Amino acid sequence: MTTVSETKWVGRAIRRREDPRLLAGKGKYIGDITLPGTTYVHLVRSTHAHARIRNIDTTKAENYPGVVAVVTGEEVAAAMKPMLVPSIIPRLGGELQIPTVYPLAIDKVLWVGDPIVAIIAENKYIAEDAAQLVEIEYEPLPVLEDPEEALKSDSPKIHEDWKSNVLWHGELGDGDVEKAFREADYILSERFYGHRTGCAPLETRGAVASYDDFTGLTLYINSQRPHILRMALSQILNIPHDKVRVIAPKDVGGAFGTKAPIYREDLLICYLAMKLKRPVKWIENRMESLMTIGQERDQIHYLELAVRKDGKILGLRDRIIADVGDGRTGVYLGFVMPWLGAAYLTNAFDIPNVHIDLSCVVTNKPCLSPSRAFGEFPARFAMDYALHLVARELNLDPRDVFEKNIIKKFPYVTATGITHDSGDYVGAFKTLLEALDYDRVKQEQKEARKNGRLIGVGFAMGAEMSGIGSQVFVAMENQPGYGSATVKIDTHGMVQVLEGDSPQGQGHETTIAQAVADELGVNIDDIYISYGDTFATPFASGTLGNRGASYTVSAAVLACRKLKTKIQKIAAYLLGIESDSEEFIFANREVIWKKDNSKRVSLDDIADVAIMAPTKLPPGMEAGLEATAYFEANIASMLSIGVHGAVVEVNPKTGDYKILRYVVVDDCGVPINPMLVRGQVHGGVVMGIGNTRYEKYIYDEAGQPLCTTLMEYHMPSAADVPDIEVIEYNVPTPYTPLGTKGKGEGVPGPVPATLASAITDAIDRPGFKLLNLPLTPESIWRALNEDK
Amino acid sequence: MHPLQDVQKPGVEGTKTIQVRVNGQIYKREVPIRMLLVDFLREELGLTGTHVGCSVEGRCGACTIVLNGNNVKSCLLLAVQADGADILTVEGLGEPDNLHPIQEGFWEKHGLQCGYCTPGMMMSVYNLLKVNPHPSVAEIREALVGNICRCTGYEHIIEAVQYAADRIAAMPKEERDKLFSY
Ligand code: FES
Ligand code: FES
Repeated sequence: MTTVSETKWVGRAIRRREDPRLLAGKGKYIGDITLPGTTYVHLVRSTHAHARIRNIDTTKAENYPGVVAVVTGEEVAAAMKPMLVPSIIPRLGGELQIPTVYPLAIDKVLWVGDPIVAIIAENKYIAEDAAQLVEIEYEPLPVLEDPEEALKSDSPKIHEDWKSNVLWHGELGDGDVEKAFREADYILSERFYGHRTGCAPLETRGAVASYDDFTGLTLYINSQRPHILRMALSQILNIPHDKVRVIAPKDVGGAFGTKAPIYREDLLICYLAMKLKRPVKWIENRMESLMTIGQERDQIHYLELAVRKDGKILGLRDRIIADVGDGRTGVYLGFVMPWLGAAYLTNAFDIPNVHIDLSCVVTNKPCLSPSRAFGEFPARFAMDYALHLVARELNLDPRDVFEKNIIKKFPYVTATGITHDSGDYVGAFKTLLEALDYDRVKQEQKEARKNGRLIGVGFAMGAEMSGIGSQVFVAMENQPGYGSATVKIDTHGMVQVLEGDSPQGQGHETTIAQAVADELGVNIDDIYISYGDTFATPFASGTLGNRGASYTVSAAVLACRKLKTKIQKIAAYLLGIESDSEEFIFANREVIWKKDNSKRVSLDDIADVAIMAPTKLPPGMEAGLEATAYFEANIASMLSIGVHGAVVEVNPKTGDYKILRYVVVDDCGVPINPMLVRGQVHGGVVMGIGNTRYEKYIYDEAGQPLCTTLMEYHMPSAADVPDIEVIEYNVPTPYTPLGTKGKGEGVPGPVPATLASAITDAIDRPGFKLLNLPLTPESIWRALNEDK
Repeated sequence: MHPLQDVQKPGVEGTKTIQVRVNGQIYKREVPIRMLLVDFLREELGLTGTHVGCSVEGRCGACTIVLNGNNVKSCLLLAVQADGADILTVEGLGEPDNLHPIQEGFWEKHGLQCGYCTPGMMMSVYNLLKVNPHPSVAEIREALVGNICRCTGYEHIIEAVQYAADRIAAMPKEERDKLFSY
């Protein structure tokens, strides 16, 4: 007989169940979905960063053979409400000015790439041809590219009906900051800048919509949040909710946050399908994608730290200016990310007195869209690198400064109101230093220096969110934070799990099945996971923010536990024993009585009775074996720690640097599948290295984007990055049924401070600091030559 | 030139009949002369395992195939240029119950997350292992510069390639040759 522990699936590095189809080239991505009679959309986008549209001439395009329709902004706007309906506007206090948004520009364009005209044609080649025939006359307006310029009271208003260019302004913090600064032995005061970069996935956005008068609108879209999108579509387009079905494809080619918003194109494609009564397909091309999505970060921090001479941080003041672009992308409006970056600014440190003033300013660039390490990338850079600068200034070992300030007691609530649930942050930090062999590296550094080689070691903390409970999420995004799942045992004793989230490579078909297999004592192959279709899955707020392992898996576990109560009653009845439920073990597809394990019933028999032969059920019991659960952790939010460390060698002549080692000590509570966790960490670090060293969305003074191809926006290839070492340091959280937490979302966050501190340590020259991202050989060379 | 004015000349018309062998099967089709090879594979032949990740710039590698023994980016060729060619796409690499060792390596070592880069990536690995059965880590990294993966950080991809190389090295020569017949 197999024992329970032998059949345990959680914690095992099994290979993924989604992989066979992907490896065979049989994945189903949005680009692979084409309905009979499909038409294709190509968008004509603004070539100006800020201009009035004087005239649009579409005649030639309309007459081009194969063109089905040419549509401009007013027509689309007349068919719907302004897109920012109340249910998708965050309520974060402060002062918010809300732009009016429609899918296509009407009389003004606000950034290069702003969509103006939609061409719909019989095939995509024709649509692209005809797009070249549209003539648009512009009257250029002054372009605002610099958020600090845009803040000035005399600068032109991008949204003319606003009183300033500030989309959101507010303050966060708590404690007696004045006192902390009065009592400080040393005050660090620096301006840090985290540039515009982000997480462009390999698959761009895409949508296929169809409409008929009876079933209504069906939208296939590679969205991270199909349920939220469905709700918004119904409200904006004034269609009854039952006539809007959103389906995320089985396979999505990465998202990292960028596919979470409600984009203008989403509404446009729906409108076109409704207008034409033919399926409409739009696949964003890479150039559009680099001009529109995945642009994040872009924060200036005027950060001040009040420090005691032993390195203890007494207080923090920060004035943050975020460049949110045009601020017109739904749900987040470009400001929720910097807000969260501010709320999580103090990271894994115990800083009781904090005051943060955050201004989110609109400019003539595309709206910020979420990118993994949501708002935190520049914030982590400023905070953790500042601690290293403090150590240098006070002649302390940065290791001591970190240790002194790291949160030690849990749960811990930051001065900005963020709850850290549990963990051992100091333990993880010490494990990193051991893994780096810190003392030996410092020794080697001295030796190397004698030979003219500059070696340095650096580190940073990353406390990443692991889902956010409704307590916070309702205010933040006007949406629930719970996880939800339905578990059904079918007529063949197979287990179906339905989740309302829609993964993009995270491996839910494997991890959720691992958790459910343990709960129900079945084999992983007995489980199938369904997701993506809003007509068939419970409401959920989407696959984002590390919600999967913390919230969604927990909901699936709770749903199993609800079912188990019923199953045990049926088992007791069939076995003819008097038993309270909870007296059975679930293993090997059997339900076994703990008191006498010869008394057992197979799950198949129970399913058969409950579904096919309900006459055999205990009298009065309802037929069927299915349960839905909504999981809410009994705490405002959970975080999981990742401590990053790097050893680098810098060439002082060129500013170039080589990462000799990159190590991450990682906690995700209980890893459901350690191999998948490692994969998340590797990918997150490399994305962080890309963002720190190679990737930057550059704009010239006229607001023209200079990085619209992957040649110019350089995502790292295998040859650009080092090996990443991952060390597990897991502390189960008491707040989820299995102790699991999410992992992956925040991993890029600690990378820039890790590399900046390592490079600074290598250079080791008084006054040398790296206050601006990205950290390119050029920027380092400049910093080196500035302070000479 | 402005990126948005990167025009394709309208009115490129005409078709041509081409014959290609894809994954061992011969196809004869009349295609528009300006149709990209990647669109031909995906839309005409329904082989959607070959992906598109960039705007025909040849940078992302998601569309990589093997054509007459060489790795090519199928977004950079016209279908008519492939007339007479012998092509391998991911669909021809292995069977679901008889995976190619490269596919096994990716599965075993978690060399994919979203899977979007994977078909193209495996095509590059195919040509690497064909000529270099025992690549070093540095050689693997170099061989994959034309394929961007945004999810995995490459670490597990490298392990996947090493796993495949070991599996293949343990096979008798005839079997090995069969694995690399393109
Ligand atoms: S689609 Fe990117 S290289 Fe061909
Ligand atoms: S697995 Fe997603 S791009 Fe490689």
